Amino acid sequence: MNKLIGRVLATEKSPTTMDEFNFWTNSDQRLHAFDIVKVMHLDSSFTFGVIENISHITDAQSFLTNFISSDFGDVEIEEPTLRVGMNYAKAKVSFNTKNLYTPVHNNAKVFLASADEISMALGLDRIQNPLVCGALKMYEGTEEEVNLPVYLNSKFILGPEGAHLNISGISGLASKTSYAMFLMKAIQDNYLNTEQDDSVAFVIFNVKGRDLMAIDRPNDFATDGHGEKEQTHSYYTSLGLTTRPFQNVKYYIPYTSNNSPKQSTYLPKNDIEEYIRNNQLKKFKYIYSDDKENIEMMFSDIDDPAQTMESIISKIIDNDDRDFRDLKTWNDFMEKVSEKAQKGSTGDKGDISVLSWRKFSRVVRKAIQDDMFANAFTPQNSECRLADELKQIGKNEIRVIDIAKLPEDKQAFVFGDAVRTIYNLKLGEYDSEPKVKPPSRIVIFIDELNKYASKEIPKTSPILRQILDITERGRSLGVVLFAAEQFRSAIHPRVTGNCATHAYGRTNSIETSSGDYRSLPTTYQNMLTRLEQGDYLIQNPVFRTLLKIRFPKPIYKQFK
Amino acid sequence: MSQNKNCSFKPKHEKVMHILAEETGGKSYKAHKYGLDHSDRPSIDYGDNEIVWKRKAETTQHKTYVDLSKRAKQLASRDDQILSYFLDGSRRVFKVDDIAYTESGGRSVIYPVIAGQIGVGCCQRVDRRIEHTKFKRELVLSLPDVANADGKPGFWPAMAKKLSECDELKRLGIEFSTILEYKTMKIGNDKVIYEDRATACVQDRMIEREKELVAELVREGRLNQDNYLIKDGSLEYRPGKEDKADKKKYSIFKNNYRWVLGASKNFNPEVCKVLGDKSNPGFIADLPLFHRTPVAEYENDMLSDIKFAVWYIRLRDKKQTRTPFDGVIKVEKILVTEEENRDGIDSENVDTLSAYLINERNPVCYGTDLRWANHIYPVFLTESYVKSRYLSTESFLHLF
Repeated sequence: MNKLIGRVLATEKSPTTMDEFNFWTNSDQRLHAFDIVKVMHLDSSFTFGVIENISHITDAQSFLTNFISSDFGDVEIEEPTLRVGMNYAKAKVSFNTKNLYTPVHNNAKVFLASADEISMALGLDRIQNPLVCGALKMYEGTEEEVNLPVYLNSKFILGPEGAHLNISGISGLASKTSYAMFLMKAIQDNYLNTEQDDSVAFVIFNVKGRDLMAIDRPNDFATDGHGEKEQTHSYYTSLGLTTRPFQNVKYYIPYTSNNSPKQSTYLPKNDIEEYIRNNQLKKFKYIYSDDKENIEMMFSDIDDPAQTMESIISKIIDNDDRDFRDLKTWNDFMEKVSEKAQKGSTGDKGDISVLSWRKFSRVVRKAIQDDMFANAFTPQNSECRLADELKQIGKNEIRVIDIAKLPEDKQAFVFGDAVRTIYNLKLGEYDSEPKVKPPSRIVIFIDELNKYASKEIPKTSPILRQILDITERGRSLGVVLFAAEQFRSAIHPRVTGNCATHAYGRTNSIETSSGDYRSLPTTYQNMLTRLEQGDYLIQNPVFRTLLKIRFPKPIYKQFK
Repeated sequence: MSQNKNCSFKPKHEKVMHILAEETGGKSYKAHKYGLDHSDRPSIDYGDNEIVWKRKAETTQHKTYVDLSKRAKQLASRDDQILSYFLDGSRRVFKVDDIAYTESGGRSVIYPVIAGQIGVGCCQRVDRRIEHTKFKRELVLSLPDVANADGKPGFWPAMAKKLSECDELKRLGIEFSTILEYKTMKIGNDKVIYEDRATACVQDRMIEREKELVAELVREGRLNQDNYLIKDGSLEYRPGKEDKADKKKYSIFKNNYRWVLGASKNFNPEVCKVLGDKSNPGFIADLPLFHRTPVAEYENDMLSDIKFAVWYIRLRDKKQTRTPFDGVIKVEKILVTEEENRDGIDSENVDTLSAYLINERNPVCYGTDLRWANHIYPVFLTESYVKSRYLSTESFLHLF
């Protein structure tokens, strides 16, 4: 039996409409934004509404009334009678059981809904290809508290119906990476445990410390309180997920010679060695002859209005160019570039000025000053070319690429190269090569998307172009971008615009006052500024409304 | 077309006025309908001239004001309460039509038809919250005595029953509980205002209902020394003929009011003859904050041998109200026991009750009610509750 908690209010000034209504409740009734209520309506149907805001009013006409009620400002005064007050809640209509969207009537009974009714009201009961994306809690803190797993239609997050996920929220408080990892865990579980025509693989970039460098190791919950492990495990089980960490994981770290004091990874030597023994880790290198096409990635953050850099790069990758066609190593290449930049050099028949060559030389020289730009790689020493490895990604595999310790320009270079490889792989460019059997969907996860696709990035940036390609065409190709950033408003609108799923984590009020959040009701905007860690507002085309969900702590090893 | 005609004829028979005119042999004029009530505004009640002030009515013979601020503060710090029930009756009176009756000599005289809504409600305070306890509502009509041509006693009840059976009222689920007859005879040379007489009938009916409600509360054992009832307005209840006829009944009537206080917002300061026999409104006007006057006793011929104790309390500082009488309430209590009748009420008790009433000064209904300075919030809530239960003026007038 549903609990009756109030009645609908319809007045001249605040009428009920097709999409919203107000109802009163007792002042002590605990309700929260996003809670669902059920209202009796015509033809024994029920209308469901999502609470958007709750107000408390009393019969005091003005603040002055209250002031006078304290003997004109005596703060100690207690009143023998409590002023008459009530709460009224504003709710958005989400669903009617008989499709009747005429406004609900004045004084109609308002109930709390049961778990099944909540599923129905939110459209969660009819989701095909269900993929758990978290759990929602209704009527928190009351006897009627309801916990429900929330499912997405996987075709609306991995394609082909809708694809891409954007997660925003401030660092540390929003747990963006944890949420993306939770979703990927759910996807991997889903594909590992069921026979499907589709297959999926993941390419994950580790951008901070060694956060994602042990995702196949279980979480020991060493820094958590007693019983946390059991609680988290049962949380995973209640969502229909296994308690295993990620499966089939391989790690890639930038190559540095063993003698070099500076390493390009935060992973300790022991771990590297252990991973190598387990055949789980390789060090990637860039070889001039194979990777010269990626030189343009070094220029992703550099303004090139006259497109002189682009002309230089075209010249370099031109196989018929007499200056550059026979070069084999990065050293040869730099020598040639230096030569071009020499004073008195004729340039390239005057097409490209010496000044442009000098600018090019400056950028490239700095960029390739790293061990990973090498002349050759030795597979026996667990060295590899990243692109070769990514081409061979198979179903249910996870490839973690560690770029955490690289400087920003090199991070962009690695990211750009990997994304281009995946994109080309799904375009079928490598189909003729041996061992290339790409899964039907590849998920790429990158944190700090703002570095590559912010509004300020020059339009000519090859990485931005690549990301736009993925967000606009990836849905049908099977390349899915899971991206996270602190401030959604900083991201290129064509990127966010093409994401089917949006997860809003805790953010600040400056951010919520930007245009990107204008479509959210003010209460929800304010809520975003006080969301707890692990709470997200999720927007997806299959949901009738925004949902507030939470998700369990990571199941893989954590470094604190 | 023919259907339309039918429709336009049918309702005529169902209207209340039509039935009334037909049954009483009068002619309805379909006059303008309007309310006869004054709005709630602060006023001085200039009536009650016939009340005679007698001796002091408390055990301690105070000569001047009694300071209660300490006691009020002391009581406020304790978490108990003896003012538990609050009662208010109200009525809305409308002139709904004029009706003509032929009198001697064939001349026809027009009389107003008055309809009233009466609501009497009682609320209880539990844990500082107000909850409704009882409510009575009734719709009454008041017609001139000449409308009952035969003068038979059963005429009006039969008439009320007949009205309640008409389709329109049945459909709405409402009925007129009674029809009150107002006198049309002239007294002396004064101009007769029939509306006032009819209104007085409705008012009397309301007071009867209030008395019934108090009796009910007493019967249910709700009122006692720890649970007083505060009644809005004066306690000047006339014992009815029935009450007086039976001695036992009369004592029950008086006993019902043992734990009842009347708190009036409006009063006539002229009647206050505390110092000697002279009227001295200034005595109340100068009442200091959180003080009470000594208790006076008065009798009234109209009220038979019932004696009342009356005193005034200032709840609000004169500086903060518009007139010196704002912020002062008049408290009444019926002297019930023999001791009370002989020696007056226990002054200690008066002080305690007054202190509790002083603590009722907050919260206020400032902004909602112009009489906020004299209002007691739980009474205000009871009044609001009763009023909220009325049929809207439009729907009510539409019945006629």
